[in-house]
Amino acid sequence: MSKITVRQFIEGKGRIDLQMRLLAGEGGLDKEIRFGETNRPGLALAGFFDHFAFERIQIFGQGETAFLEQLTEEARLKVYEQFFSFDVLCCIFTHEYIPDSRFLDFADKRNVPVFLSKRTTTRLITLFVHIIDEMFSESVTLHATLVDVFGVGVLLTGKSGVGKSETALELIERGHRLVADDMVVVKKIDESLLIGTSSELLKHHLEIRGLGIINVKEIFGIRSIRNRKRIEIVTVLEEWDAAKEYDRLGLDEDKYTILDLDVPVITIPVRPGRNIPIIVETAALNQRLKKIGINAARELDERIKKWIFSKGGK
Amino acid sequence: MVEKEVVVNSDAGIHARPAMMIVREAMKYPCDITLIKDNVEADGKSIMSVLGLAIIPGSRLVVRANGEGASELVDYIIKLIENDFRV
Repeated sequence: MSKITVRQFIEGKGRIDLQMRLLAGEGGLDKEIRFGETNRPGLALAGFFDHFAFERIQIFGQGETAFLEQLTEEARLKVYEQFFSFDVLCCIFTHEYIPDSRFLDFADKRNVPVFLSKRTTTRLITLFVHIIDEMFSESVTLHATLVDVFGVGVLLTGKSGVGKSETALELIERGHRLVADDMVVVKKIDESLLIGTSSELLKHHLEIRGLGIINVKEIFGIRSIRNRKRIEIVTVLEEWDAAKEYDRLGLDEDKYTILDLDVPVITIPVRPGRNIPIIVETAALNQRLKKIGINAARELDERIKKWIFSKGGK
Repeated sequence: MVEKEVVVNSDAGIHARPAMMIVREAMKYPCDITLIKDNVEADGKSIMSVLGLAIIPGSRLVVRANGEGASELVDYIIKLIENDFRV
């Protein structure tokens, strides 16, 4: 995993604007964040520095600032001295509370970035949990195309030239939305979700052989794109192989593993005359049915078994 | 499997036209071809995929191929990059 610096974290890579203002300690912006956690430094400020988690993001809420305010100038200075004797990662003051100039001087000297936030402490910490989770999550880049079909994230995979982008184009034309073409960045969130996005560079573009690179957002408009989508089903497009057995029932569910998580997979043989986008659409809808507990293949099977039983079979 | 490493020295990195030169050659071969930068893998037969690697001057690139014509293709791509995409 690539390292994450304070600067990258604060910039949030464009996802959420944290709306924070840097007050001091600019020299420390490129320090690496090694632990994806926050710390309320209340105990440390009160003089208890055992187990002080200085390498985490320090959040000064109303409690901390009220405590500092009631100290005498002398006592406050002593606390600052002790606090900054540690290699503190960075500090954030919530509720727009601006710390005194002595604190900022220390921060500048020790290269500890200090930020100001308009948000409340609880709100800020909740936000951080999301951002940290995503930044520290495992990720992989796949050669695939991701489309949101009826609200289901469908990852189209298959060898180059099999028609992933063409399938995506027709799906877009039918009102579905493109997330990424030919290169999908997948992140594992919370050990259970796979979220796919496009690389920032390629966003909204699609390559169609014969046309070249097209801008989907410009041609089809804002409704044709979305920036991220949970991957819920994988379709493997492959050349029709007469010797291979394709699923004819849909009773068994195959799995495709991405970052150690299993995703249902269907293999769709491609052959002239087969309308792949409609098959993909139907697969997406079928997946939604399965999610609410309706499995067409299994139900038909049950019905047939019952009928056989009524006719004297077992 | 054939694998070679190259440092991209071309001033403009790999933008659309150089990417196309790689992909066009790769399409002539039946083997699989992968370009790897910073542990991110791209399909050498897909323009979008190659562009998505964001290869800038100085980028270190691994070219890996598997299958028929693999070594020939890897050599061609390495040479193409080393010669700054002048054929």
